[in-house]
Amino acid sequence: MSTTDKQIPHPTELDLEFFEAAVRGGALHVQRCDDCGDHHHPPRMYCPSCFSGAYSFSEVSGRGTVYGHTVSHYTTEKAWKDQLPYLTIVVELDEGPRLVGTARGIEPGEVALGQSVRVVPETVADDFAYLWVEKA
Amino acid sequence: MSTASSAVALSGAAAIVGIGETGYVRGADEGVLQMILGASMAAIRDAGLTPADIDGILPPPGFVAWDEIAAHLGIPDVRYTATPQMGGASPTAALTTAMMAIASGVAETVLVPIGWNGYSALRPRPDAKPNKRRFSAAFFETVRNYYGPYGLRSAPWWYSLYLQRYVELYDIPPEAPGAVAVAARKHAQLQPNALMHGRELTMDHYLASDYITEPLRKFDCCVETDCAAAVVVTSAERAKDLPHVPTVILGGAEGHANPAHELTNRADVLDLGLTRAAPRAFGMAGVTAKDMDFLQVYDCFTHVVLLQLEALGLAERGGAADLVKGGALELGGAHPFNTAGGMLSQGHCWGLNLVVEAVRQLRHDAGAAQVSGAELGLVTGYGDLGDGSIVVLGRGDR
Repeated sequence: MSTTDKQIPHPTELDLEFFEAAVRGGALHVQRCDDCGDHHHPPRMYCPSCFSGAYSFSEVSGRGTVYGHTVSHYTTEKAWKDQLPYLTIVVELDEGPRLVGTARGIEPGEVALGQSVRVVPETVADDFAYLWVEKA
Repeated sequence: MSTASSAVALSGAAAIVGIGETGYVRGADEGVLQMILGASMAAIRDAGLTPADIDGILPPPGFVAWDEIAAHLGIPDVRYTATPQMGGASPTAALTTAMMAIASGVAETVLVPIGWNGYSALRPRPDAKPNKRRFSAAFFETVRNYYGPYGLRSAPWWYSLYLQRYVELYDIPPEAPGAVAVAARKHAQLQPNALMHGRELTMDHYLASDYITEPLRKFDCCVETDCAAAVVVTSAERAKDLPHVPTVILGGAEGHANPAHELTNRADVLDLGLTRAAPRAFGMAGVTAKDMDFLQVYDCFTHVVLLQLEALGLAERGGAADLVKGGALELGGAHPFNTAGGMLSQGHCWGLNLVVEAVRQLRHDAGAAQVSGAELGLVTGYGDLGDGSIVVLGRGDR
């Protein structure tokens, strides 16, 4: 499957900043509060821990563990029909935030909660990086 | 005065006095506005009133607005209007809003309608008239940017991100959601106005059904339908002079997981809005879930019903699988649920069909599905990415 087949969402506002940070830096970044250091996702104007409005997008390794997953056996989307069944994983990053991505190199049936994985962004547009989830 | 005692003062101030609904079908002849108007007029007439008696309108988000409803029905003097932004939790949340408006004197008699072409909007017949009515929600941005690119197009895919975790952490066997699906389908056999009336579902049939996205099988998902429903709420005082035994709103509340606009980044992803709403509503009503003669639980997906049974306090986390064994959710069981078939088997009317059925039960007008001597029941709502709402309803005096 080529990522160009995928839906490119053309994000705006803070969501755009999240993806632009990954595109510009060539690595995954998540929002981090400049005052208390809390990492959170999706990005927000004010820190949910200390309510500060000062933030940056901070580079992270992408390393984390499987927090949730689903194997899809049916789809109404043309771009996904030849991918069935496909595995989607929720990764809890070591820094705390959780991200959703498509499994790459992990088969349905070999995924388990708590398993070590890595989120790898792939730039597919100026305003979007696709998130893959690979074995750590 | 504490907020808790203020809320208790609302208990019993308002009652549902009129109900209306269309058929639950795939391929309605009418568009959403016409269906909503029909259900609304039916509810107003059922209450023994005319549109001139309505002074509040609480339409849920999307498809139609209060002003066109007022204009078409001929409601001359709208004093109050508001719209909960909670997807499928909105109609039930609106009942609490109606109770507040009525208890405060801001409005006296409030219409709560909903409807949609839930089936045919996406699958128009070749001869169908154009339908441009849509709705949008702010959380769609979250979905578009963070779930959509990964083949997670709509609710079953989004919710599976946390439901599969629930199934694995608590070893939920497929027979547990299966019991939910089978109970709803059995009750639809007693309700001629149900999409799945005449189409039975056995546990074997359920277990053999294909996955959509794990853990959700086809029969875990509610049925998309074209339909509308409406209820009329007025003061408990005025209700005494109207034709039907009133359905008194004894408690109502809403609740939201944090953050509400994204599913996966909650401290506890199995924490529903209802987890917070249920104790508030029970506190207002002075009852618990165990006191209910029946449950009408928002059954968009069977696993979401299991989680709501836990949020209601009927079981510990993971304990709903045991709770639903042995036909407990079926008529004659400990917790008869969704006695008209619910959204799983009657039709998806954003949960307002559950309210309509609760009113029939408390009027003792539920036909073959009547829970004998029903005095107390509840209705839950679940919407968007886990918003929760609940009302506790009681049979009023006559």
